[in-house]
Amino acid sequence: MALTPLNRAGLGFRRELIPALQQGVPPEIGFFEIAPENWAGMGGRSARTLRAFTERFPFVCHGLSLSLGGAGPLNEDLVRRTRDFMREHGMGLFTEHLSWCADDSHLYDLLPIPMTEEAVRWTAERIARVQDILGMRIGVENASTYIAPPGAEMTEPEFVRAVVEQADCLLHLDVNNIYVNSRNFGFDPHAYLYQLPLARTCYVHVAGHFVEDDGLVIDTHGSEVIDPVWQLLQAVYLQIGHVVPTCLERDFNIPDLHTLAQEVAHIAHLQREATAVAQRRAA
Amino acid sequence: MQAFQQFQHDMAQHLRDPHHTRRPAGVPRRRMAVYNELLFNNICGFVDSCFPVSRQLLGEARWRRLCRTFYRDWPLHTPWFREIPRELVRYLSEDRIAQPLPRWLPDLARYEWAELAVDVMAVNVSAHDAQGDMMQRPVLLNPARMDVTSPWPVHRIGLQWQPRQPQPTFLVVFRDAQLDVQFSEINAVTARVLALLETGLTGQQALAQLAQDMAHPDPPALQSFGEQLLISLREQGVLLGTLK
Repeated sequence: MALTPLNRAGLGFRRELIPALQQGVPPEIGFFEIAPENWAGMGGRSARTLRAFTERFPFVCHGLSLSLGGAGPLNEDLVRRTRDFMREHGMGLFTEHLSWCADDSHLYDLLPIPMTEEAVRWTAERIARVQDILGMRIGVENASTYIAPPGAEMTEPEFVRAVVEQADCLLHLDVNNIYVNSRNFGFDPHAYLYQLPLARTCYVHVAGHFVEDDGLVIDTHGSEVIDPVWQLLQAVYLQIGHVVPTCLERDFNIPDLHTLAQEVAHIAHLQREATAVAQRRAA
Repeated sequence: MQAFQQFQHDMAQHLRDPHHTRRPAGVPRRRMAVYNELLFNNICGFVDSCFPVSRQLLGEARWRRLCRTFYRDWPLHTPWFREIPRELVRYLSEDRIAQPLPRWLPDLARYEWAELAVDVMAVNVSAHDAQGDMMQRPVLLNPARMDVTSPWPVHRIGLQWQPRQPQPTFLVVFRDAQLDVQFSEINAVTARVLALLETGLTGQQALAQLAQDMAHPDPPALQSFGEQLLISLREQGVLLGTLK
């Protein structure tokens, strides 16, 4: 199956949205993203529904359970089944989180990796193995965290850079995660951004979050994207100098499709703006 | 174990059992509470939606306690979220849970899970003739199917009624041609016929075997009754026809 270029704005594919999407996919939505853990290896109506969309739209595969930084053996069966799932639906990009979610047993959520040299080597080796099995480079996503594991030997941007360079993988940049962490740990998100290996960016996430009464920011993907996050996205596009496929994540309090499409349209707007700036610079 | 993995180990232990283990060193209480809440809510989200009846009958407090010991005690090796409810069913069936639970709960949970399992079950349907003579040819059972055999009438359990005495129950949960999940209550004889057909027998062979097992006084009558039964099961979608 031919892979459609992804250089546009996309939306996380969710079951709640399917009835509306079946009525018509808004033109702003250039691609969808799905988690293999939610969709691979299924039959029945789920499989038929997904097939109807993957035949018409490009999809990105975004993993949740690989536990790249986790102890215990890498789940190579999961990688192979993800590879088969991607082939089945013509998906050309796989990304996962720079985090861990399991030891020998799953915890089913994303947890921060202590930022040490040992952890860099451990994680980079696992990423390299995943790339070998998939036969392609993968994107690895900077995570949102609420704690800084003790014993860190480097800063977070240094950790991200060390892992992606050692693994020779790509960067999946989540600008909302940068913002969430900047609030929870008190740093300048723009300064942080420029320390990342942005030239390796293959894919971008934007999302909304929730602020608790005491100011702690929780990465819920449950509300609209706020201006400081849009500004970070703009900064990313201007810095990279070309458009990167960017997905809006919305997992809770899901509004109607029209509202989501407007946010996706804003991504596309920022992409066009950045392209125009890049063209002026080149001229 | 490498140094960074010690932290991961401590954190995992604490997430699984926050009330009986120490917070990992260097982690503030408030921040750890965020993770404890997020992860436990997450696992509850995966199981709650699959077991509405079980949850309602246990009540929120007992259901949450069950979810907690499940997350703490049961090894969760599957990376596939849809299989987490199956793991809860297995946990309940192991019967090593300290919490007092109704005797029928493991079976009720299995029945509730069967609906989800059959809905998303990936199957290969063998080549078959939907109109074939099921008496003369090996019969193809619908592969998108689970047979729920229980000492309890799990399909009747609800807020209004819970069984006091066992009552052997045979249910077939299957996906029909429209991909909807259907439930069919069958009797012990039909369950036995399905089991025999699944071994590759023709309808005639299965019914002859059944007549022998039952020491049936009139095997030809059983054959003709059985043929009607097979036709009815095919109309429902439990059987798909004859194998090619």
